Amino acid sequence: MSAIDASAKINLSKANVLLIDGSQHSLDVMAQIMKGFGVAEIHRCASIEEADKNVRGKALDLIIVDPDIGDGAGYEFLHALRHSGGSANAFVPVILVSGHVRAADVARARDTGANFFVAKPLTPSVLLQRIMFVARDKRDFVEIGEYIGPNRRFKFEGPPVGSDGRRDNDMKAPLGGADEPNLSQNEIDNFIKPQRVMI
Amino acid sequence: MTIVRKFTPDVRLEKMLAEPGGVSVARALERATGNLETIRETCVAAIDAKVEQMAMLAQSQGQGRLDAIYRVSNQVFGEAGTFGLAELSVAAHSLCSLLSTADQAKVPLAAISVHLDAMRLLRRPEIVGDAAARGAVLAGLRGMTKRLVAQI
Repeated sequence: MSAIDASAKINLSKANVLLIDGSQHSLDVMAQIMKGFGVAEIHRCASIEEADKNVRGKALDLIIVDPDIGDGAGYEFLHALRHSGGSANAFVPVILVSGHVRAADVARARDTGANFFVAKPLTPSVLLQRIMFVARDKRDFVEIGEYIGPNRRFKFEGPPVGSDGRRDNDMKAPLGGADEPNLSQNEIDNFIKPQRVMI
Repeated sequence: MTIVRKFTPDVRLEKMLAEPGGVSVARALERATGNLETIRETCVAAIDAKVEQMAMLAQSQGQGRLDAIYRVSNQVFGEAGTFGLAELSVAAHSLCSLLSTADQAKVPLAAISVHLDAMRLLRRPEIVGDAAARGAVLAGLRGMTKRLVAQI
């Protein structure tokens, strides 16, 4: 993921962010980072029960959750959130922040419906990069079997070699080679060169 | 046949980020880093307390104590790294790896004690400035964890 432009502006002054972590000190860390980013409302939850209450009572813009809270209850919380149908927060961007992940939890983390994963230890720059990524993420949400969440395919590189593909927008016929010579650099430059226009 | 439903939820966050006003990324990062400094002392003291909490758990006979040590060690891993205690974070990660082996009950108590002693050692002033000694402590832990994980 590319670094962020330091001069770019961000405005989180109206954002409503829910932080969920079993450790009060991790919550302090996340809350101080969010405060630095100018987040308007920060809700801190050290248990899934508190988090459930917040999800029901407020329209949220971002949830950051450590899934290891209460022995993996964070995964169940997110699964239930994505399946909460008409709820205002069902499809809100969710970032999972996790420390050490047990091998058994890797597939669970992938299938739980989060928008992105951030490995602890947290730093402000990594967290801001991920927040900007999830905000601008153009992936569709998909519902397939038990999974509801962002499409887990980040890249689309066309149908497999030798197959026509199954999507409507898969190109069925080969494109073939170019039938004209490539443009020269001068011709390309002329397309983007500012020109004086006489009216 | 599997049915796939696709939809595009409305993400308010994108529009908010781009609204007029706000702060530059550089300023936001500077403020966040400054805010973390205000809680450094409290958090570092809490990390030290968590190492002692793990030592007490290791001495106890309670059921689920190994899971409890895993959880506390995972917290130390995450929190120590944020405050620049990288080696302590690595030691805590090594303990988590050891305690997440398939048969947790076979993890020798002595291996947990070695990790906790290493964490205490890494916090002592005389070793804080000695990169070689810190590296040796971590290399020892890595070797022991690798050997035990392969055996268990």
